[in-house]
Amino acid sequence: MSADTMPGPLSAVPLRPRSVARRRVVDRLVTSLAWLAAAFGVFIMGWIVVTVVGRGIGAINWAFFTQSPPAGADLGGGLGPCIVGTIVLTGFAAVIGIPIGFFGAVYLSEFGRTGRIATAIRTITNVVLGVPSIIAGLFAYAILVKPLHHYSGFAGSVALAFIMLPVMTRAAEDVLNLVPNELRESALAMGAPRWRATLGVIVRSARAGLITSTILAVVRVAGETAPLLFTALSSPYWLNGLFGPSGFFGGPVANLTKTIYDYSTSPYQHLQQLAWGGALVIIVAVLGTNVLVRLVFQRGK
Amino acid sequence: MTETTTDRSAAVAPRIEVATGQRAVEFDALPSKLSVRGLDFFYGKEQALFGNTLEIKEKRVTAIIGPSGCGKSTHIRTFNRIYELYRNQRATGEIWFDGRNILASGTDLLDLRRRIGMIFQKPSPFPMTVFDNIAYGLRLHFKLSRSELADHVEDALKRAALWDEVKHKLKEPGLALSGGQQQRLSIARAIAAEPEVILMDEPCSAIDPVATAKIEELIAQLSSAYTIVIVTHNMQQAARVSDYTAFFFEGRIVEAGLTTQIFENPQRKQTEDYITGRFS
Ligand SMILES: Nc1ncnc2c1ncn2[C@@H]1O[C@H](COP(=O)(O)OP(=O)(O)O)[C@@H](O)[C@H]1O
Ligand SMILES: [Mg+2]
Repeated sequence: MSADTMPGPLSAVPLRPRSVARRRVVDRLVTSLAWLAAAFGVFIMGWIVVTVVGRGIGAINWAFFTQSPPAGADLGGGLGPCIVGTIVLTGFAAVIGIPIGFFGAVYLSEFGRTGRIATAIRTITNVVLGVPSIIAGLFAYAILVKPLHHYSGFAGSVALAFIMLPVMTRAAEDVLNLVPNELRESALAMGAPRWRATLGVIVRSARAGLITSTILAVVRVAGETAPLLFTALSSPYWLNGLFGPSGFFGGPVANLTKTIYDYSTSPYQHLQQLAWGGALVIIVAVLGTNVLVRLVFQRGK
Repeated sequence: MTETTTDRSAAVAPRIEVATGQRAVEFDALPSKLSVRGLDFFYGKEQALFGNTLEIKEKRVTAIIGPSGCGKSTHIRTFNRIYELYRNQRATGEIWFDGRNILASGTDLLDLRRRIGMIFQKPSPFPMTVFDNIAYGLRLHFKLSRSELADHVEDALKRAALWDEVKHKLKEPGLALSGGQQQRLSIARAIAAEPEVILMDEPCSAIDPVATAKIEELIAQLSSAYTIVIVTHNMQQAARVSDYTAFFFEGRIVEAGLTTQIFENPQRKQTEDYITGRFS
């Protein structure tokens, strides 16, 4: 724009000011709408938490964490095996999903970038991200349960990893993309090979965000039920070894979500009570981890 | 193709044919550290440099000046081939460095970048301690014992005039230093790798005047041992720190030569207009 087309104060065309009052009203309106939407979300969340705590707190005692579910119509017992099982299933899913997701993200943000392969991977990741979680269960069923002729915790972990993978890839890529290009250039300008600049400088500078992404991706699948329906199923027994009938690779593995699903539809009052307790444990673990991670890693950002 | 390139470079060749005595003679007589011949640069299909030719003299400070967007950064980013990080950027022509054309294939980029260090506009400490920042290049390129490493770190920090300020902060993160200190940390980090040439792309534009003065002083000290190329949009700075100046305009080198010559007796109207602030 050159000086003579710019409407300055000396311009022949008078400048009409816009209405300040009108802008103020619009500003108020938009602010209140945003506030209302946020408040509604918090309200629903609060309602769920209050309900789950109210109904579940009665089930929480020492036995709940240490004992197996009661047989038949017996009273007492707990969800100990389910808690252990959920931790193991989720942990093993993380062992598969997190490294692949991490290196995938590193590839996308540092090497593939806008290339054709990277674009394809990104598209696939987005598609998988939108796949209903029950499809992940069916997938693991088709590749592991059907050919091996038995359910297993391993198949459950694979299904969970299938959901975790795109979540991790996307989140980690977003974090890596926040690293300024100047840092990349500085590392390479020192004569560092590409991989060394990537791992030693770029990943390192994004580490807080990457840890956050990892934890959130893991926690994200901890509450999944559908992927376990045809894979890990559930079981009232403690996980025992690897290949036996109650081993990780050998048979169904107890877990919280599927047990909640089963018990909440049971006619027995005390099983329903245990289901509420299980829901409380999951919600506290998931919400607690989320809040904690954000507090620890996003401070000062 | 080759013909047009030679023609163009001949037309823009920055030969200053004024006999201002001693120093003009010196310009031609001094050995060149880098010789740029017919350098073209492309961002995709967009050409940003047009057949540029330039001599960078050994152990002297060369300033690159010109209005924003004229190709100053683009030009110095070819010296260490850092532009190759981006797949659509391409340079053609020749850049001679110690008898080798660094734009030719087969150039060892890691060694090239050790020998030609670079300081960027924004201070960019690595996410590690002050010590490890300096040790980064040393560990990359040399086999050193622990005590040798410490000695070299201290030496680099001293040469970057930063030792006294950080000797008690070696274990603190580099990011905890002030902006000006971070920039000198970047310089120390580059120096530690034992470079011959140091490229600086507007190294003072993100820091305050006091820190700027320190860096200018540092440049003067370093110029006895290193060949320095500094991009700056600040003409006073160019006049203060450099021996030679190249004036860029719209991707071409309009005029290059002794800084005193460029500032006191520019040969081209465009140069004069820019120097006297008629456009910027
Ligand atoms: N990454 C890029 N992609 C496309 N064009 C670019 C890019 N970087 C710079 N350019 C263009 O190249 C020209 C020279 O830019 P640059 O070398 O950054 O100028 P200077 O450093 O002198 O301000 C400008 O016209 C600019 O728009
Ligand atoms: Mg620039």
